Amino acid sequence: MQELSQTRLGEVIQASSTTFCAQCYELYSLPPLGTLVKTNEGDNELYAVVYQAFTEGIEPGRKPIARGKDEPSEEAVFKANPQLVKLLRSEFAALVVGHKRDGRVNQYLPPRPARLHGFVYECSSEEIAGFSRCYTFLTLLVNAKAETPSDELIAAVLRLMSASQEDPRAFLVNAGKELAALLGQDYARLKAILERIKP
Amino acid sequence: MLNLNYVAAQMQNMVEQLKVGGHDKGARLEKARSLLALNEPEFTNLKEKVAQSLNTSPFLLAGPVEPLYTHVPPISIPEDFSIIATDGSQIDVDRHQSTRCYLINIGQVRLDYGQKTEAKLESLPLLYAGDNDTVIASGHQVQMVEGPLLNLKRSVDECRHLKEMATELPTGQPALAVIDGSLIMWQLSGKEFPDFVVTELLDNGFMKYLDEMQALAQKQPLSLASYISFPRSVNVANTLRLLICPNNTADCSRHCGYKPVGQRPCDVLSGVQDQELFFELLVTGERSALFTSQAKIVREKYAGHAVHFFYLKLEDEIARVEIPQWIARDKQKLDLTHALIFDQCQRGNGYPVALSEAHEQAVVSASDRENFQQLLATWLADEHISSASSAKSSSKKTKWL
Repeated sequence: MQELSQTRLGEVIQASSTTFCAQCYELYSLPPLGTLVKTNEGDNELYAVVYQAFTEGIEPGRKPIARGKDEPSEEAVFKANPQLVKLLRSEFAALVVGHKRDGRVNQYLPPRPARLHGFVYECSSEEIAGFSRCYTFLTLLVNAKAETPSDELIAAVLRLMSASQEDPRAFLVNAGKELAALLGQDYARLKAILERIKP
Repeated sequence: MLNLNYVAAQMQNMVEQLKVGGHDKGARLEKARSLLALNEPEFTNLKEKVAQSLNTSPFLLAGPVEPLYTHVPPISIPEDFSIIATDGSQIDVDRHQSTRCYLINIGQVRLDYGQKTEAKLESLPLLYAGDNDTVIASGHQVQMVEGPLLNLKRSVDECRHLKEMATELPTGQPALAVIDGSLIMWQLSGKEFPDFVVTELLDNGFMKYLDEMQALAQKQPLSLASYISFPRSVNVANTLRLLICPNNTADCSRHCGYKPVGQRPCDVLSGVQDQELFFELLVTGERSALFTSQAKIVREKYAGHAVHFFYLKLEDEIARVEIPQWIARDKQKLDLTHALIFDQCQRGNGYPVALSEAHEQAVVSASDRENFQQLLATWLADEHISSASSAKSSSKKTKWL
């Protein structure tokens, strides 16, 4: 049972061993790129980072059209067309970076994917700090084949995680060293990430 | 299979004929439009002639309520208001299957505009099966619900859901309930169905729900209308025929029965549709004069809900809006209906938003139908109930050489 105080972001609507996709309950209430989220799968609590988000029409055949030519604001477009909120949906996709079993955090893929209709929560600062005690998850991110450029994703994840650390600067410096070890052969890529997480 | 080579040659002929017909049509339309401007005595005479000719004219006439050239602009819409609408679709009984069942899927929509905007879009599927649910019965008379009768039952269900939504509306706020298509249940007017079916669907169904909405509308600012896009009706054009008819009463078979169609005096207006008549007369947003439907079923069965209608000019087309008598006779409700329907069309790119969303909720696609049949087959198989289907059905599903 999840604590009520936790922010529920949405619900899993598609899942594989490496990723899951969730639909938000409210239009546009999307977590930022790189957010650490979690969902339950039996005894496992799955951790994942948001790597993609999009808003589109609920029905594949219906393409949104421009409606605001004569409206004074974007808000007015939704006020004049109240049905839009029900016909559009926001979704986000998350890359699985670890799981917790019997109270122990493992930074490798869980045995099974997330369950459909499982609730997805935003991790608290304590959970983020607890998860990011080690950097093994970076291996998964460096090798990820996601639509979002993985350098951007890694930098976004580290920037967000650093905000939950006692010493954000030290966290980023250590993350940089870890990346240097992983990307020793690819200086250009390493430089690109480091520039994006510069404290 | 369709041999398009043969069709193309026939299409060419069709286009040639249409070109020739187009010239005549322009003249007939011009003639019809010139008849709209009547002075008061002429208008009174026309009303009387319509009343006298109802049983002798083969044409379905429109009863004029307001001068024919009337054109009314819409009033301003209220700040806060709601629109409710329903639409439906069905999966008919598959007569090649041994299990008898059908499904009615009702799409219902409520849109709240103004300070507190809100939208409620719902799809409500209801499966009917078994001996009692799939027939209309009275004593030992039984009529199977399928095909055209299922269409009618669906219309009644749409009206019931609309009434139920109307009861949940906030009482002090203007609202409009919209039905797709006509308020006139044409299919019940012939001899196709026995009287007990008509009683069940019309008196104990459609009329009962209209009664309940009328009762609600007496307590709160609720309006009701049905909307027909691109109507092909000719009722007003038929009424104009009476102005050309040289006889006091249009007793067509007596006076002109020996003349072939096209040779009668009033045939100078043949082919003219009401929408063409009003397209030039009205500017965008305006409504036409009010008319009453003189359909036999309306005169005999609709009583206090007698169907009135007006035409509404939109950017690119004329729509027909039908309303019951209790809306037509209440100027405030009539004006509100006119303004809100036009507003809905503007928001919906020429078609009422609430209706198009209700349709989207109701529609059952080809793949939905397949999934329904598969699900049904799976359930029956799980419970070891035979789901035998006819050889004809299997032959259509399996293509072989």
